[in-house]
Amino acid sequence: MILTKHLLAAALVCALALTTNGAQAEDTTTDVGTLDQETAAKMFPAKPPYSPYAGRNFPTRPFFGDTHLHTSFSMDAGAFGCRLGPKDAYRFAKGAEVTASSGQPVKLSRPLDFLVVSDHSDGFGFFPQLMSGDPGLLATPQGRKWYDWIQAGKGGQAALDIITSFGKGQMPKGFPLPGTPAYRSAWQETIKAADEANEPGRFTAFIGYEWTSNAGGNNLHRNIIFRDNGAKASLIEPYTTQPPLGSPNPRDLWKWMVMCEEKTSAQILAIAHNGNLSNGRMFPIIESFTNKKIDRAYAESRMRWEPLYEATQIKGDGETHPLLSPNDEFANFERWDKGNLDLTELKKPEMLEFEYARSALKNGLKMEAELGVNPYKFGMVGSTDAHTALSAVEEDNFMGKTTSSEPSADRTSHPFVKTSLATIMGWEQTASGYAAVWAQEDTRESIFDAMKRRETYATTGPRMAVRFFGGFDFDAADANNRMPAKIGYSKGVPMGGDLTDAPKGKAPTFLVAALKDPIGANLDRYQIVKGWLDAKGETHEQVYDVAWSGDRKPDAKGKIPSVGDTVDIANATWTNTIGAPELIAVWKDPDFDPSLRSFYYGRVIEIPTPRWTAYDAKYFGVKMPKEVPMTTTERAYTSPIWYTPAK
Amino acid sequence: MKRVLREPLLHFLLLGTTIFVAYSLVTKPSNDEPGKIVISQGQVAAMAEGFARTWRRPPTGEEIEGLIKDRVQEEVYCREAMALGLDKDDTVIRRRLRQKIEFVTDDVTALAGPTDDQLGAYLKTHADAFRVQRQFTFSQVYLNPERHGENLARDIAQLLAQLQQAGDKADLSELGDSFLLEHKFQSLPAGEIVKQFGEKFAIELGKLSPGQWNGPIESGYGVHLVWISERTEGRVPELAEVRDAVRREWANARRLEAKDKFYQELLKRYVVTIERPKPAEEKRIAATK
Repeated sequence: MILTKHLLAAALVCALALTTNGAQAEDTTTDVGTLDQETAAKMFPAKPPYSPYAGRNFPTRPFFGDTHLHTSFSMDAGAFGCRLGPKDAYRFAKGAEVTASSGQPVKLSRPLDFLVVSDHSDGFGFFPQLMSGDPGLLATPQGRKWYDWIQAGKGGQAALDIITSFGKGQMPKGFPLPGTPAYRSAWQETIKAADEANEPGRFTAFIGYEWTSNAGGNNLHRNIIFRDNGAKASLIEPYTTQPPLGSPNPRDLWKWMVMCEEKTSAQILAIAHNGNLSNGRMFPIIESFTNKKIDRAYAESRMRWEPLYEATQIKGDGETHPLLSPNDEFANFERWDKGNLDLTELKKPEMLEFEYARSALKNGLKMEAELGVNPYKFGMVGSTDAHTALSAVEEDNFMGKTTSSEPSADRTSHPFVKTSLATIMGWEQTASGYAAVWAQEDTRESIFDAMKRRETYATTGPRMAVRFFGGFDFDAADANNRMPAKIGYSKGVPMGGDLTDAPKGKAPTFLVAALKDPIGANLDRYQIVKGWLDAKGETHEQVYDVAWSGDRKPDAKGKIPSVGDTVDIANATWTNTIGAPELIAVWKDPDFDPSLRSFYYGRVIEIPTPRWTAYDAKYFGVKMPKEVPMTTTERAYTSPIWYTPAK
Repeated sequence: MKRVLREPLLHFLLLGTTIFVAYSLVTKPSNDEPGKIVISQGQVAAMAEGFARTWRRPPTGEEIEGLIKDRVQEEVYCREAMALGLDKDDTVIRRRLRQKIEFVTDDVTALAGPTDDQLGAYLKTHADAFRVQRQFTFSQVYLNPERHGENLARDIAQLLAQLQQAGDKADLSELGDSFLLEHKFQSLPAGEIVKQFGEKFAIELGKLSPGQWNGPIESGYGVHLVWISERTEGRVPELAEVRDAVRREWANARRLEAKDKFYQELLKRYVVTIERPKPAEEKRIAATK
């Protein structure tokens, strides 16, 4: 199998001969001059301590999770038939088998490490808290009777009697009635579910919600995540989008976030998503609410509150678009470009630039040159946005966007959205994605802090480990180091970081590494995407292949030939006979100009595997129409590292 | 015990039908009258409270006026819509109502705090769900098959011999191929091993003897040579160690159970008739499946 079929013989003897020079190398890196660099240098003295664990406070493995999941608490999820609430969502993410709202048993291949239940704040609503635990209630004969029944395991009978009494107006004194404060909000329930599910070190359950600004059907949604526990989060009710209490304008959300941190001392952040359904409004240069150019205040607020962007999810992939990146052969991936969120307005090509992550990163450089602040200096995560309480986006275990698109023979052939203008079919749903976070430990604090410093990447579902370090002194030997992370942190900055003021004659170098999902497909290649702003103020982009499997040679145009395809569509299988389990390389920017602003991010491409539609076709025995893609190339996008010239 | 809702009845008994009708006209919430909308003081207070909970300050006069105006609008639309029967056969409304009634059962189970005896019994019958996982303290050296090709077996043998000679003092920082995961793991639970290395590796690891270099064992990444320095067997924990988790699972089981019982009780109130399609049609549906 994989043990015998490989060609390249980098003899072990040779590998052993290469000594690690990490300890010496770090002494030469004082010229980078970034904070991370200095901290790292202190962390690693010339001679490492005897104990391999001492001084190791950098993250050693990524944590995988979902920052965006809806449950029955969301009005639309409930309307689609979702009957699982936040408690169920956390249980499922922790690896428990649950019964989906459609009645089928479902379980993850492996538990996730963290989850944010992010139900829509609009229409959160209040639910009758009939048994509020008021001691006065228990003192009444009825209350006592119910309590005893419940204790005896006759909860159903008690509930029935309560309902009956309620209907007849025969409730005991002190019983909360509709309209009284004893009605609990769905928000309080959400907080309670997260606090109960949170197990520091083992599983992180974040408190959060979605602010669903949908002005004119254009998606400006943001998920709000709390670093703190319920004691702080329950001091406040989530911000909504319906005036007069709420607002659909992100500027008002940021005002609320300022107020929230000031008055409750809770730390929060926001993650936007689905620019692809915003019809040119997600990453504006001209603000849609005022028709004025983005100003410095907007840029500063957005930067302060929105360190990350959800670049891939079930409603399509948002890295880039073929029209924006015509020279990128992997750009045409899971596109949703027919119109806005509710398909009431069709897409025009000129909107695309303001919708996709890569073009926003490029425009950010341009705006930084003008405003002094880059509003679009964000890192990347993926998440599901499932409305099923089930964070399940592996191709062979895809539970769909809504309860009505949980596995069934006809979920692919039913329209997902249909208006007089256009139709998005069920098969167009994308089984994607998850957020990967390089945090020291699996806790709210550690993961939240890593999100703030953008040490994150997006995956379209597989749990591959992806490293991306930038500095000015990585050299080829670093790729053979036994501990890539150690050398990465000591000689450079991780994904999400900054480089500035290139030393004379030096260009940025990058240590890149990716390890496949332990139960997933091999890797095809690791690419670096570079974007920059030229001296005339125009933006550009370029994709470089920097590590790939096998002994493929670049063609005349410098492109690495295709890795091949082992997918057996009829049986929904593939083999790891192509690709590599791990890719490591050091790459130096061959076209660097120290006077220009630029960014670099990593993109890892898996070998082709069956798309979820192939698993559906096989399981349900349905024949898919010709236009339905049956294979996919899963991928990961790292947060960028930015280069800013000195002054 | 005074019950507000019973008061009309009391009046009826005392003063007779006429007075009762007059009374009910006076005390009936005015919002029941067509063509009349009253936003009560209580409602205004509730709106102000809601605003204060979102913004951590009371609303200004203008803001509260905005909220009131919006509530009036909502009331007008709701009444008109209901008068037109738009609330009937609306899936969204029906599902919301169903959801609300299901919350009642959640409440009921939430009230019943379990005793330690109950939790202990639950732990006993669901021991596997709470088991403290087997833990391994181990070192591993990785070989990437792609790099060794047909020399892999030879290289493994060579490396193993080298490691066996060095024993637990082997300097792993320069052996094997570069690898993104750690070389040494302290007390790593089996579940975490599955997450990082895959199930196959975790199972193989469980078969190895501690205190020697073993292998090669396979993972999704390639092959590994492994030294286990300590292995702690899994066990069923004492209740005190896992009380919160047991309580959570116990409550969840109760919640699902109560929901079902509640529905069964409600169902008893109804005679349900399902008019199934005729056999011929049924066959046709079955055939298309």
